[in-house]
Amino acid sequence: MLKKKAFAPMFVFMLSIVLLLAGCSGSEEGGGEAANSDDKVVKFMHLWPEGSSKQHNLIVKDIITEFEAANQGVKVETEILSNEQYKEKLKVLSASNELPDVGMTWAAGFMDPYVKGNMFAPLDDLIEPDSFVSGTTEAYAVDETTYGLPLELNIAPVFYNKQIFEEYNLDVPETYEEFQAIVKTLSENGVTPITLGNKDRWTGSMWYMYLADRIGGPQVITDAINREGTFEDPALVQAAEEIQSLVDMDAFVKGFNGLSNDEAKGPFMNNQAAMYLMGSWELPNYTTNEDVPQEFRDSIGFFKFPAVNGGKGDINSFVGGPGVGLFVSENSEVKEEAKEFVKFFVEKWGERSVTGAGVIPATKVDTASIELPQMYIDVLNELNAASNITLYADVQMSAAVAQEHLNLIQSLFGKEISPEQFAKEHEEVLKAEE
Amino acid sequence: MSTIAQANTKHEAKRKNSAFSKLGYGVLYAILGLIAVLQIYPLIWLFFFSLKDNQEVFNESPFSLPTDPKWENYTRVWTDGNIGLYFFNSIWITVTAVVMTVLLASFVTFAITRMKWKLSKPVLGLFMVGLMIPVHSTLIPLFDFFLKLNLIDHPLSVVLTYTAFNLPLTIMILLGFYYTLPKEVEEAAIMDGCSIHRLFFQVTLPMTLPVVSTTAIINMIYNWNEFVFINTFISSDQYKTLTVGIQNFIGQYMTEWGAIGATLMISIIPILIAFLFLSNRIVEGIAAGSVKG
Amino acid sequence: MDKVMSNKFVISLYVLPALLLILTLIYVPIVLTGYYGLMKWDGIGEMTFIGLENYTKLIQDADFWGSAYHSFLLALFSAVSLIGYLGISLILTSKIKGANTLRKIYLIPMLLSSVAIAQLWSKIYHPSNGMVNSFLQSIGIDNPPAWLAEPSLVLPAIFVAIIWQYAGFYILIYYAALKNIPESLIEAARIDGATPLQIAWKIKIPLIAGVIKVTIVLAIVGSLKYFDLIYVMTGGGPNGSSEVIASYMYQKAFGSYDFGYGSAIGFFLLLICLVVTWLIRKLTATKEEIQY
Repeated sequence: MLKKKAFAPMFVFMLSIVLLLAGCSGSEEGGGEAANSDDKVVKFMHLWPEGSSKQHNLIVKDIITEFEAANQGVKVETEILSNEQYKEKLKVLSASNELPDVGMTWAAGFMDPYVKGNMFAPLDDLIEPDSFVSGTTEAYAVDETTYGLPLELNIAPVFYNKQIFEEYNLDVPETYEEFQAIVKTLSENGVTPITLGNKDRWTGSMWYMYLADRIGGPQVITDAINREGTFEDPALVQAAEEIQSLVDMDAFVKGFNGLSNDEAKGPFMNNQAAMYLMGSWELPNYTTNEDVPQEFRDSIGFFKFPAVNGGKGDINSFVGGPGVGLFVSENSEVKEEAKEFVKFFVEKWGERSVTGAGVIPATKVDTASIELPQMYIDVLNELNAASNITLYADVQMSAAVAQEHLNLIQSLFGKEISPEQFAKEHEEVLKAEE
Repeated sequence: MSTIAQANTKHEAKRKNSAFSKLGYGVLYAILGLIAVLQIYPLIWLFFFSLKDNQEVFNESPFSLPTDPKWENYTRVWTDGNIGLYFFNSIWITVTAVVMTVLLASFVTFAITRMKWKLSKPVLGLFMVGLMIPVHSTLIPLFDFFLKLNLIDHPLSVVLTYTAFNLPLTIMILLGFYYTLPKEVEEAAIMDGCSIHRLFFQVTLPMTLPVVSTTAIINMIYNWNEFVFINTFISSDQYKTLTVGIQNFIGQYMTEWGAIGATLMISIIPILIAFLFLSNRIVEGIAAGSVKG
Repeated sequence: MDKVMSNKFVISLYVLPALLLILTLIYVPIVLTGYYGLMKWDGIGEMTFIGLENYTKLIQDADFWGSAYHSFLLALFSAVSLIGYLGISLILTSKIKGANTLRKIYLIPMLLSSVAIAQLWSKIYHPSNGMVNSFLQSIGIDNPPAWLAEPSLVLPAIFVAIIWQYAGFYILIYYAALKNIPESLIEAARIDGATPLQIAWKIKIPLIAGVIKVTIVLAIVGSLKYFDLIYVMTGGGPNGSSEVIASYMYQKAFGSYDFGYGSAIGFFLLLICLVVTWLIRKLTATKEEIQY
């Protein structure tokens, strides 16, 4: 017993010495499992874990296998994180200049600081003419140079529950007046007209953006952000007023400002809310996702955000844009291989993502040659016919302005500020950034 | 007569008293029982939660039983991803960090409360300030630091960080106990010619076993549930832990809540067992200590 | 005796490993945070030295002071709730039946990770089918509030969750401390005819005063830098009405790419904690003098 106990301080002492030594001499290769020492390793961070995104994950794995087979001596190592953790880690990595060779980025405001800090490599030479849907790569361009290749493209229609609409004899609205009448009927009958998870705030921002677009035309919000216009434009103030009048009509689900988008989805998926404005990434839930009852999937349709009488916008203009894209680290030691991989990935992803994972890629899709659920074809047709796609406001804006915008959206919906204040405070933060 | 009356009233008073105290105990137990229900409910909730799919999770009242229990959530959790490996990593990283923290903290507390040296107060101050830095301020500096030591993506970075960040808290809790502990036993041991290391390991440590167990429980829970550091410092799958495993079910646009519930449920079992075990030590340790004293 | 107890070698052997660890892993980041706080830095590109500009901005930043106010409220709330924890621990350590089982049950919530706790409480506060509102509706309140969406209610609602989250932690500490009191002392008092309340007040609490002081510091410092549930459950919203210092700092540093300003907030938070701790020690020290 005594010996055992006398041993303990020795053990601790040894342990601390070992730790110190380990600290000084560095450690054996961490993480380099399979790689041969002369293999070039491309590190790739992405967002699609096996658990929640099985099909995405599978396609990524297949593409990597194909790529490694076609490029002997190059290995691709992946690290998968969820959105929040991914953004946080990317930030820490870039501060130490340790970005992965290839990673995912969001467009415009998110990537700007990385581009200005010389962290991302230009990728213009990877773009084959006419391979991407027009307007998508532009969102990843700074001063005419492209720093990211988009993997997905979404528009946000209003999804609606046909059963509920039928029950109350409602038709798909063409104009905003008709839409308001629908909201009124539903709310009078005790049905939640619209579900909205505004804790996440970008959800409410999309409603605001559509109203701004329909009232003031497709350029009004973009101009205000890039300072060719102003946020105190009457159309933008009027859009804010319309939001508050929708709130007054009880258009949105109870407690929307405290619900996450995930929570808000609940009432819609359970036939308790009639409408849900969301990106087309939700399509699998209404078409192919076997976990959702067939009956529900069949009862969902979508319509375009209705036009406002006397407004400058038309019904074929959408809020949406590319979601994530791939970047290559400027300081990568295997930059050529990384770029090669990105090129390969984007091409293969374009071929497989829509049928394999239900993701609409930013590369052009040949609808004629593939089998797709009807709703996908409809959305793709809308995409082709779109007169304009306005990129999500919080993505367009710089990070600091986006934070303000999102907070103001929440206050606007919560009726804590007036539409005029809403516009004025936007103008102030935007001015401060100039 | 008067004595009888007195005895009677005394008796009466006692009976009244016991009736009163019975009622009092009834109320007390009702309250205690209510709190117990409130405290154990989350575990039951989590269990139900782990058997639901997204649709049920966000629709039904949280009280509700899963209509059609999704046991496949558990099989999914076991088959998708590397949960077995994460499990193993969680255990050894937690245990190593807990042992290091509690031992090092006991050393420091012993030196500060029992030994005489001029710098003891300032050094204690140094440890206390360690409580006050917000975790997210340390991420970038620490990442840089471990990068220079070539410890990024090495479990040592996580173990050392857990140890360092839990030391101040552990020392403070130990400190409160060391101050209240009678010094006579230790003084007597010194008089008997006991060496200082023997004193620490054979007298002080056993005497403080209750608080050591307490801090071990607290450390264990913190380390087991920690994810910010491990997310930042570790990138290969082989060193990730259960908290990171949860992310396997958080997608870009879709989160599998049922599977997350199942992961949480699986991950709570070992810590529950360890907790019940250590929690008994809190009482037993005192008994052992008092026999020695 | 003194000679044994002031052996420099032993002292260094016992203190240095831990000291070294916190100096490198905690103090280096503290110093660097102070340094970044003097910079204009987005965390990515070049840093520019701007002196105290971040701090002058901080002093005038109404959003920061709003979040600081919330943090102080939480600190106050946590400190007051210590009384409740202490009360429960006193009951659990008195000789009542089933105390051992009750204690174990009471500590269970503390095992849950904040991911689970945040989910649980979001469900409890859910505006339409949450437990609180279901209960309120069942007793006839027609339109119960949406707890996490109402700016005036969100803060107290989250505080309740936090108080619940930490109950186990403090009950555990108090329990161990109370169990540590020699039985003979309590027995002697009982023979002298002291009521349980008197025993608690006159004997038990003074004996664990040291531990209580420590928990006050822990509760207040812990509250001032609190982050977890608030970030997950509301993200500081709606519109900053549940923002606390740490979540505000996170928003600035990681959300708005203003790492310099975020660091200044972090460093300022450290200073606040230091001042508050010093105050607590002053206050509790004077109390001690009166007591004895």
